[in-house]
Amino acid sequence: MLLPTHENVISIVQAKFSCTEIVRTLHLNASITQKGWVDESRILALVEHDSTFALFIIISEKVKPESFSDLTIERAIPIDKHFSCDTDPIPESYTHIIFSIIHKKLKLNFVIEIGFESSNFASEVIRLKEVSSFNVNNFNWLDKYSCGGSQTEIDVQQATMNDQSPDLPIVRQKVAQGHGISANRESFLRYQLSLKEPEYTHLQEFSIFVGTWNVNGQPPTISLKNWLSVDQEPPDVYAIGFQELDLSKEAFLMFDTPREAEWRKAIMDAIHPDTKYRSVAYVRLVGMQLEVLVNNSHYKYIRNVAIDTVGTGILGKMGNKGGVAVRLELHNTSLCFVNAHLAAGVEEVERRNQDYNDINQRANFRRHPYTIKEHDQVYWLGDLNYRITEQSAFQVKKYLASDDLASVLLADQLNQQKDLSKVLQDYTEGDITFQPTYKFDLNSDVYDTSEKARAPAWTDRILWKGKGIHQLAYRSHMDLKISDHKPVSALFKSEICVVDQNKYRKVHEEVLKKMDKLENEFLPQVTVDQSEVIFDTVKFREPQHREIIIANTGQVLAEFEFIKKLDDVSYCKEWLSITPFSGCIKPGEKCDLRLIVNLEQPLESIYDILVLHLIGGKDMFITVSGECQRSCFTTSIATLSRAPVPLLQLTPDQFKHAENQQSSILYSIPRELWLLVDHLYRNGLKTRELFESTALHEEIIRIRDWLDLGSMDPIPGSIHAVAEALLLFLSYTRDPIIPYHLHDTCIAAASNYQNCKQIVMQKMSDLDRNVFLYLCMFLQELLKYSNENGTDPKTLATIFGDILLRDPIRNSRPQANRGKASFIYHFLINDQSSLIMPCK
Amino acid sequence: MANRTSAAQRPNGSTQGKICQFKLVLLGESAVGKSSLVLRFVKGQFHEYQESTIGAAFLTQTVCLDDTTVKFEIWDTAGQERYHSLAPMYYRGAQAAIVVYDITNQDTFARAKTWVKELQRQASPNIVIALAGNKQDLANKRMVEYEEAQAHAEENGLLFMETSAKTAMNVNDIFLAIAKKLPKNEQTTGPGGSGQGRRLVEGDSGAKAAGNCCK
Repeated sequence: MLLPTHENVISIVQAKFSCTEIVRTLHLNASITQKGWVDESRILALVEHDSTFALFIIISEKVKPESFSDLTIERAIPIDKHFSCDTDPIPESYTHIIFSIIHKKLKLNFVIEIGFESSNFASEVIRLKEVSSFNVNNFNWLDKYSCGGSQTEIDVQQATMNDQSPDLPIVRQKVAQGHGISANRESFLRYQLSLKEPEYTHLQEFSIFVGTWNVNGQPPTISLKNWLSVDQEPPDVYAIGFQELDLSKEAFLMFDTPREAEWRKAIMDAIHPDTKYRSVAYVRLVGMQLEVLVNNSHYKYIRNVAIDTVGTGILGKMGNKGGVAVRLELHNTSLCFVNAHLAAGVEEVERRNQDYNDINQRANFRRHPYTIKEHDQVYWLGDLNYRITEQSAFQVKKYLASDDLASVLLADQLNQQKDLSKVLQDYTEGDITFQPTYKFDLNSDVYDTSEKARAPAWTDRILWKGKGIHQLAYRSHMDLKISDHKPVSALFKSEICVVDQNKYRKVHEEVLKKMDKLENEFLPQVTVDQSEVIFDTVKFREPQHREIIIANTGQVLAEFEFIKKLDDVSYCKEWLSITPFSGCIKPGEKCDLRLIVNLEQPLESIYDILVLHLIGGKDMFITVSGECQRSCFTTSIATLSRAPVPLLQLTPDQFKHAENQQSSILYSIPRELWLLVDHLYRNGLKTRELFESTALHEEIIRIRDWLDLGSMDPIPGSIHAVAEALLLFLSYTRDPIIPYHLHDTCIAAASNYQNCKQIVMQKMSDLDRNVFLYLCMFLQELLKYSNENGTDPKTLATIFGDILLRDPIRNSRPQANRGKASFIYHFLINDQSSLIMPCK
Repeated sequence: MANRTSAAQRPNGSTQGKICQFKLVLLGESAVGKSSLVLRFVKGQFHEYQESTIGAAFLTQTVCLDDTTVKFEIWDTAGQERYHSLAPMYYRGAQAAIVVYDITNQDTFARAKTWVKELQRQASPNIVIALAGNKQDLANKRMVEYEEAQAHAEENGLLFMETSAKTAMNVNDIFLAIAKKLPKNEQTTGPGGSGQGRRLVEGDSGAKAAGNCCK
């Protein structure tokens, strides 16, 4: 059955396959995860061909693929006899689980969301495993999907040894899609190194001694040598677990017991005398204690040691039952030792199974988000408390008396539950060749003679899980009689993955170099068609533009932006604008940038270096320059008044002379201002909305040139254009007619005409005052015709207040506008003719 | 996942834990061979007619030392004088700099000396500076004596090597020498590292907070 949202996707996925290969079920959004490395989502697909099934892992470029070209088949895994799957909870996650797919040596973990989709998919996988044909030859159709096919012995590790391995193209593709490699650098490195582990490691056998004993709350009054030092060779590792170390109420409630130190000392006194040992980890929960010791010479190869405890006793969490665990890495192999004491009572089989599951689920070692089963090797020891049922104590004792262990073992609950996959499913146990270790009368070898007369049972067990573990011995130690249990021990020869430092260094360096290469290869790369943009002569308010083409020549999306230089406020000067100033370019594509220069400042030339930055990559410099033509619009009133001829007729020397404050003033108002005002006076007094309508841009430019060049022709442009030119002239003069430093005073005085007059008379220079009064008189003239031109003093005061008292920074929010208007207003309604004085 | 060990996972007993990231900038007169040195170091290539760099090229390269792995984020700057004013964008926040001159051109050596001075004045105080006398393959046209440059380096506490991007002489060595000299503890190699280094201008910090060297 399919979820409705899958209907579309399934047909897209189907397009990746031939018509005899039918996509049965999908799982979207399965994130692949490996040793702390989480990757992008995959699509899992179950595909059938001729009643064989395979699971395909597919990479999609888009969250929801839109066409089959968005999909890449990463791997095909035959659902054959080597195939299995598994689910694991994620600690502290209620929404996701880990879904593992195992095929031979390959194990892939996926994080998937718990829900209908996942349960549907998982049950389908399990069902198909049942029905799929296991004949190897039937899977030939997978050959074309290459890696991971059933015939090829390629596993993940071998598959990545060369550059043609599937991983690099995937990384390439991911990077090409804009997933930065550097962000995942560390996990990528870790992942690559874990894949290449066989190249720099070899297996070395370590002997591991595992012992368990339920001591029934007794103090260690005897030596443990007959348990811990019975083998000739000293083991490399000891893992020694106790249960019921202390049965007192204090131990249960206060978590503190003198027994702890006593038993630890007893261990140290009894371990193999031929070698020095060092304690690696020690953990206790109430009566469950576990200590791991290693041969001194191995100590430095132990890393990431962590412990955890899980109480499953009273209320499901108290420490009278449960488990304690130690995890560590010895060289490159992760080991986990679990000492468990499961629920007691002959009938409590289900409780024991439940305790086992709880320990597995709840142990996560805090610092290391590993569950018990994620370790390379797990040693499970303890008083598991499984009993003998279906046989009476009498019967059992009879079998035992005749050394017929096999008959009794048939009735062993642990064996039975294990066969039913209810507990310790994946664990192995060696053959039991020793008598049951429970329950003895204290200080004897006699099975329970009390009223209860319990059937003897193998409550104390040692099992293991993982590759390369060989059990050498599995036995009980009858000489230690102080408890109602006898201790049990197992000796293992276990293959530990040992790193060859030199080889590791080489592989490490190789991987890093490969990553560097990849990273550099996938840096964004663009070219610009010019690094030097020169504008034609730049004139006042006459915009020019130039185009720059940025081409993405790299393999990844190029995100660009212009960035500001140190100490600059913006990425470009105020005379320039860039559109767009940031953006994204796909590989192989281009982007046109438009640079527009619009000059409103009195500059002799423009020059700037733009910094075009690629996010995560290089910077490029683009130099922008151009000569500027001066204009009366941006020249100071004083300079214009000293210029004998129009600006562009001035020789450089003449201009310098005009700029000089010491030179004599030739005109009491600048020639250009007079021309504009005079024209308006003669032609515009009766024009409606003289200052309120806008002119064509070209008209303004013509008037600008007419003024700057000095022409004998009549002024070009409409009367409105001349009016606008006047406003522009007053707005852009290098300094405002009323100097900046007087603005506050003017606004403060605005309510009183006499005060305003005083400012004009006493604070302004003769030239500025003249120009100011000249303008006011012209505006008064204009107001005389208000009937015809429809203007009024308030409107004019507002327009000219804004300009004559303009703010220092253009476009800054106009403040105290009313004050400015009021100030000007006085001079529009009062007679000023008496104020005018000749310039000195 | 949630597991953030202080060092990349490594086999037991290994000493190659830390990965330290450093920003390194190349400075020097135009055409002394800055880009060629980087190209040789990163890609093992040499182009007789290397294009002039107009901007700041960016590449990364990792160097393995005995106890640490050093990842350089290399900013190869434009040498032309008109771009001089932009150089601080690149050397600010840099933990290392290679000042390059051309041994066949005395002017480039003089310029290198002023670069060193500028770095000592304006760059971070504990920046590791190396002086590279490039084009050693043209030693028959030498205009800058080895001893002269070495004396200058010694006076100013600089690493010094004559290099040749063309023959690869001393190219890896000079980067390696810098890697060795760089402090590897976190405090001294704060911002500028770990990817965010690309956001150059020190002013816009923010993103820097996470940028510790050793992770």
